[in-house]
Amino acid sequence: MPLPTMTHSSSFLLPSPPPPPADAVSYAVVVLNQRLPRFAPLVWTRARLRVCADGGANRVFDGMPDLLPGQDPDEIRERYKPDAIKGDMDSIRPEVKEYYSNLGAKIIDESHDQDTTDLHKCISFITTNPPDPDNSNLCILVLGALGGRFDHEMGNINVLYRFSSIKIILLSDDSSIFLLPKTHSHEIHVDPSIEGPHCGLIPMGAPSSSTTTTGLRWNLDNTSMSYGGLVSTSNIVDEEKVTVTSDSDLIWTISLRKHA
Amino acid sequence: MLWRTIRSMEVMVHSSSFLLPKLHQPAKTPANNYNLVVLNQHLPRFMPRLWAQAKLRICADGGANRIFDEMSQMTSYEDDESTRNRYIPEIIEGDMDSIRPEVKRFYSCQGTKISDKSHNQETTDLHKCISSIRDRTPNHEKSNLCVLVTGALGGRFDHEAANINVLYVFSDMRIVLLSDDCLVQLLPKTHQHEIYIESSLEGPHCGLFPIGAPSTSTTTTGLKWNLNDAKMKFGSMISTSNIVDSEKVTVQSDADLLWTISLRNLT
Repeated sequence: MPLPTMTHSSSFLLPSPPPPPADAVSYAVVVLNQRLPRFAPLVWTRARLRVCADGGANRVFDGMPDLLPGQDPDEIRERYKPDAIKGDMDSIRPEVKEYYSNLGAKIIDESHDQDTTDLHKCISFITTNPPDPDNSNLCILVLGALGGRFDHEMGNINVLYRFSSIKIILLSDDSSIFLLPKTHSHEIHVDPSIEGPHCGLIPMGAPSSSTTTTGLRWNLDNTSMSYGGLVSTSNIVDEEKVTVTSDSDLIWTISLRKHA
Repeated sequence: MLWRTIRSMEVMVHSSSFLLPKLHQPAKTPANNYNLVVLNQHLPRFMPRLWAQAKLRICADGGANRIFDEMSQMTSYEDDESTRNRYIPEIIEGDMDSIRPEVKRFYSCQGTKISDKSHNQETTDLHKCISSIRDRTPNHEKSNLCVLVTGALGGRFDHEAANINVLYVFSDMRIVLLSDDCLVQLLPKTHQHEIYIESSLEGPHCGLFPIGAPSTSTTTTGLKWNLNDAKMKFGSMISTSNIVDSEKVTVQSDADLLWTISLRNLT
């Protein structure tokens, strides 16, 4: 029996988005505690729900005015206000917490829960408070999940595996990564104005004995991949649609173009 | 009657003494033949210490640009030209598509061997450098060898994934990936591991990750949340934001694991 198809697109990174179709995606954004990527204001504007994980609130407070020079910082701070700030609250500065609290942001102190990462807590929050309850087409964009402390990065990637039925995309200045669960066949729509050409497929959690792709410079054809063996990196996107089918969960990554 | 053979595994000892200023080196360290590989990302703040420890320094392609441009920021007591003359890599290797022509000329004139591997597009620059190091290290010195790598983490995610794969492909070599924030190394399942912690330099945050394949049994000592015959896999439990609680951490697992520990602010 053929696998159901899951489609993926990065249209949230387009400067002016296409008019939304009937099955439009509903975006939420989570900001973790690292320097904001240059497209943070764009992604924030696309999202209907914005959550900061603890010190991510410091990053929004400090970083958004820096990314929008020439505009009044106070106005920017008011405009780019999170809906919720969640986590163990050991990094957020008191004045930042107070500022956003006064503007109506929900402050959810989870310091009692040391078992899950800040990202995990934010994803849980979003799934229980979705931006559009009528729309099952949710996609969660995460800023600040890559780079920095390696154990944090691994924990964030593990969140993709743990919430494998939800579309979650980790974004940095350099790359976009998301999970391709083995339960589906995947169609990845690539917009060459914003992403590519460098890409990869990573069998992070377990080897794959069979992966098949189309649309790549070096396609896989029922190929096995594993750490210690072949991992598809420095591949090139050759077409605007890439397809991937695998017997194992894979991490897909694509480079992001650097615009002014 | 079933006899169970208990194979006692060889112990592999790890220490980050290469991060200590050279004067403070302990008399006996598990490996003291350090080779350094510099990849094409911002140099960590403690690069001068690594450079001083290493017997051989290889820049992977654009890593040479980084040494040329950034070393002088870390040694403020002399002028840029003197710094450049002091930090000359022995080898520059890779496909040469990132190194600037004037940088290549400068080092070439200073005696650096330029090893152009542009014909080989199958492997990453790090893979080429590690291969090179392995080939030029005499067998009797291999157990003493430890390769320190900067610039392998962060940046483009597929590069990072490929660099981590190099640890798995060359699992019989000690290779340590270093950034300003942390170090990452492979703990192969073929050995029991003893990790000596230099608390002035590293910790307390640490983690263990079953990248590539799950672990059905991992046991540790010396951590705040020790694992006791625990299962680990992506999608379920992996050990992140753990804390080092002792000067010696031990790890034994049925799977290859990546170990990471945070680095303190070292300059």
